[in-house]
Amino acid sequence: MDFDKVYAPVYKGTKDFDQHQVRMTNATGFGASADDYAERGIDLNEELVRNKPATFFLRVTGNAMTGAGINDGDIVIVDRSLKVQSGKIVIAVLDGEMLIRRYEKTFNRMRLLPETEKLAPIDIDPGCETFGIWGVVTYVIHGV
Amino acid sequence: MYALVDCNSFYCSCERLFRPDLESRPVVVLSNNDGCVIARSDEAKQIGVPMGAPFFQYRDLIESNQVAVFSSNYNLYGDLSMRVMDTLRGMVGESNVEVYSVDEAFLDMGQNFDGKIAGSLKERVEQWTGIKVSVGAAPTKVLCKVANRLAKKHKEATGCSLVLRDEADIRQALEETEVGDLWGIGYRYAEKLRQLGITTGWKLACMPGEWVRKNLGGVTGLRIHRELHGEACIPFKDPLENKKMISTTRMFGKPVTLKNEIREAVATYTARAAEKLRRQQGAAGSVEVFLVAESGGKFSYHPVKSALSARLPKATMLTHELSRYTLALADALFESGPRYLKAGVILSDLVPDERVQGNLFTAKSREGDRYLMEALDNINFSQRDEKVKFGASGLTKAWKMRQDCKSKRHTTRWKELAIVR
Repeated sequence: MDFDKVYAPVYKGTKDFDQHQVRMTNATGFGASADDYAERGIDLNEELVRNKPATFFLRVTGNAMTGAGINDGDIVIVDRSLKVQSGKIVIAVLDGEMLIRRYEKTFNRMRLLPETEKLAPIDIDPGCETFGIWGVVTYVIHGV
Repeated sequence: MYALVDCNSFYCSCERLFRPDLESRPVVVLSNNDGCVIARSDEAKQIGVPMGAPFFQYRDLIESNQVAVFSSNYNLYGDLSMRVMDTLRGMVGESNVEVYSVDEAFLDMGQNFDGKIAGSLKERVEQWTGIKVSVGAAPTKVLCKVANRLAKKHKEATGCSLVLRDEADIRQALEETEVGDLWGIGYRYAEKLRQLGITTGWKLACMPGEWVRKNLGGVTGLRIHRELHGEACIPFKDPLENKKMISTTRMFGKPVTLKNEIREAVATYTARAAEKLRRQQGAAGSVEVFLVAESGGKFSYHPVKSALSARLPKATMLTHELSRYTLALADALFESGPRYLKAGVILSDLVPDERVQGNLFTAKSREGDRYLMEALDNINFSQRDEKVKFGASGLTKAWKMRQDCKSKRHTTRWKELAIVR
C-alpha cells in the first residue's frame, strides 16, 4: 500500500518501554558484573500481542475447533489487522453470529471448516451479505 | 493540510462490534442513568428517534421498531477510542494527532495529502478496530469540520471521506453548509446571521473581515472567518494538556432524600475526582459541591441547583483532606424536604503537585499520606471497582445510577469476554 511509504509506522506494539524499566541487580563486588547483563524480563504481551490496537481476546464456547487444539472455554487471541488467508483459523461473522472456524478459499468457493466430526463444513455463497471475517486467530490460551 | 477523523455513531458502533446480529438493526445508547438517548445509529435516526430524546417518552417507538437499547458502557467506549487513536498515531506519528474528543481527532497531515491517503486512513482504522470513521480533510480545522460533515451526510457519494483542497471545492462545500453548522458559530450568532441573510458558510466567508470582527465577537469570529478562507488560525493543541478543572457528577438512580446518602455520594465523587487529580499529578486549591433537586409539580421538570464552594488553605490531592471540605459543604447545602436528583463535586484552582507551597500553619509532613494515596490508587487501578475506599463513600450505595441494559466490558475484563462458537 502506498500509505506505508508516505508515513513510516511508529507504532511500537507493546514493546513500548524505556531503559528505566530495567532494574539494577543491586549487587556489589564480583556480582556487580551481572548489571552488565541486566535486561527486561519476559513479557507475554510482547510475544502474543503483536499489534495492540487491533488485538482482541475472545472466549470459545463449544467444540467446533477441538481438532486444532482449541477447546471449550479457551481464550483465543485475535488480530484484526492480519490479512485473511486460506487455511487460517478465523473469527467469521455469519448471519449475525460470531464463529470460530478454519477458513478455506479455493478459486471458486469459500468454506468454513470445523475441526470436529460433529459439525459440518459451511459453504459460503460468494454473494452472501451477512458473511464477513472479523479477525484472524493468532494464539489460544488453554489452561492445563 | 489537516484531517478530522470522526467515528460514525461511535457508541453504537462499539456496541455493534461484538454483536454482529445488530448490524442492520437500529441501535440507541442511553445516557448515564438511562435517562435519554445520547447516540443513535443511522437506522434509529431514520425511524425518528431524536438526539437527547427522553427514553420513557420514546419507549413505544423504540420497542415497536425493535431498536436495540444499551446503557452507556464507558469502559468499552474508552478502550475502543484508545485503539482508534493509537491506530491513527501509528499511521501519522504521535505528535501529529490531536485527540479532540472520545470519537474525533485532528491529524496534521503535511502537504502530500490526498483522497487516497484519506481512504487508507479510513480503511485501516476500520480493519484494525472495527470502528467505521469519516475523514474530512482541508487546509484548516474549521474547513475540516465542514468536510467531515459533508462526508457523513453524503455517505454513498463520498465513501465517508472528503478532501477540500482547491478553492472551487471549498466554495462548493461552504455553499452547501448552513451557517449554524459551522464550527464555532453558536446558536445565537447563527440566528443573527440568518436574519441578515447570511445563511450559508460561503456567504459568511464573503463578508469583509472588518465586518466579521465587529459583529461576530471580535477576534474569535475573525479567526473562524480566516479559517473559512483556508488560513489556519486555530493551533494544533498539545494533546497532553492538563485539565484546568476536574469534576465528577452523576445522576442518582432514584431521588434521594436522606442526608446520609447525599454524604455517601459526595464522598464517592470526591474520591473519584481526587483520583483523576492525582493521575495528572495536580493538587486542588478550591472545591465546589452542588446538588440538584426536583421542584415544582410532579409533571414538570425544573430542577433547582444549589452550590457552595470553598477555598482550601493549601492545595491538596489527598482524598481525605478534600472530602473533609466537600462533606462539610454537602452538610451545609442539604435540606430535608427536597428530592435530590443529582450531585457533583468540582475541583478547581489546580496546580502541579510538586509546586504546592507550604503553609506556616500546617507544618505536618505529608509524605505518609502521599504513600497512602499511591497505594490506594495502585490497588484500585489493578483490582478495579473501588476495591479499597474510604468508609464515608458508603457500602450499599442505594443511590447509585441505574444502568439496566449495559453490555459486557468485552475489552477490559477477563470475565466478560465476548463469546465465539
